[in-house]
Amino acid sequence: MNRWASTEEFQAFLDDGGIVEADDEMSDEYRAEVFKFIELHANSELMGGLTERDWIPRSPGLRRKMGVLAKTQDEIGHAHLLYMVAADLGVKTRRQMLEDLFAGRSRFHNVFHYAAVTWGDQVAIAYLVDAAALISQQAVFKNCSYGPYRRILRRIIAEEGFHMRHGEEMLLTIAEGTTIQHDLFQAALDRWWLPALQLFGPDSKPDDELMRFRIKSEPNEVLRDRWVQKYAPLLTGYGFTIPDPDLRHDPDTGRWEIGPIDWSHLKATLANAGPDSARRIGNAARHWSDTEWVRDALDAVAKEAA
Amino acid sequence: MNVAVDLVDAVRAAVAEVDDPELPGVSIVDLGLLEALSVDADGAVSIGLIPTFSGCPALSLITELVRAAAAGVEGVRSVNITFLSAPAWSVERISERAREQLATRLTVAVERDGRAECPRCGTETVERSMFGPTRCRAIHRCPGCGEAIEVMR
Repeated sequence: MNRWASTEEFQAFLDDGGIVEADDEMSDEYRAEVFKFIELHANSELMGGLTERDWIPRSPGLRRKMGVLAKTQDEIGHAHLLYMVAADLGVKTRRQMLEDLFAGRSRFHNVFHYAAVTWGDQVAIAYLVDAAALISQQAVFKNCSYGPYRRILRRIIAEEGFHMRHGEEMLLTIAEGTTIQHDLFQAALDRWWLPALQLFGPDSKPDDELMRFRIKSEPNEVLRDRWVQKYAPLLTGYGFTIPDPDLRHDPDTGRWEIGPIDWSHLKATLANAGPDSARRIGNAARHWSDTEWVRDALDAVAKEAA
Repeated sequence: MNVAVDLVDAVRAAVAEVDDPELPGVSIVDLGLLEALSVDADGAVSIGLIPTFSGCPALSLITELVRAAAAGVEGVRSVNITFLSAPAWSVERISERAREQLATRLTVAVERDGRAECPRCGTETVERSMFGPTRCRAIHRCPGCGEAIEVMR
């Protein structure tokens, strides 16, 4: 167990590439930032898993159904692990985190505040949103100072990489399909391009605490650009139109330049006032209250055993 | 020298290079997925694999990877892959090397006689949920160091 004489000494440890473990001393600020970050990730895995689950009965074919089932289990399993690690920081209990989430008092990623109305949306999520999440997670994993989170991220990244291959296969199927399939995905792309782009967040501030604490290792705009440079050529190559009138390919630099981003949506969405936020949070809250009896029964068994 | 035996060994070595899609750095052969392998005189390869759990979503990708690996061996003319329904997969099929890789690289423990040890401190872990991120993994807690651990079961 590591102890520090001052916050400066703790910061020097971080600057040196040190890894913080759950029972180490840490500054209150660090604890609060790491907790907030992991809670947001855990909430997003849970809400993402529930979104995915909506599509289990509606998947086109057995193979896709297996894929959706597996992805649902993955996301819920990740949430489970992440809530354990978050709770260990002693800021909130797991129950408090869940109750805050279902009461709309805490946050989850913007992309889970939108409705997935067609299979095209599912493909857009698997192809674009999962890729964006993976790019972010890889950047966190690379240099993350909080040991318990970093070890879980390593496995999450392996699984998300597998989801991405699924997404690529789904996109190929739809891209090589009929006009109806093409139009279905184009309509979904029109809905999902901006939310996926905004998953990275606005440009990082120069004094970003998450960077100082080595939770993030690269600024948001760098990660966003990495995603644009990869997916803009792929999507246009498949014959789809990216919903950004200012998007252009600079033949001199070889880079794809995007137009200005309207961030007003993101602010509302993260305040749990996105297009589908109320329904999603309401559904999750209903499942939580419907399963109260299971938790009560487990508590009773545990009490009896003690 | 028996050419056919050499080819079997070469194909086996190639298949052993295939990692589990969700456990990078761990070979599917070390995980006990390869049950049968034969090559006939014409270079036709037959491979029998065992899924960890039926309905594992990685099966189609594993098939694709194994096919590519086997087809890349000189002398192989065709590759036929089937998933066998018996014997059933169990953690006993996981090699010592894979156990070591899972523990050190991925902090994943493997059950032995219904118990698992924390890959970080060796303490016996406690199951928190039999449902982990995949069907073959449960979520445990280490009472020693507090780590949240996935356990292959």
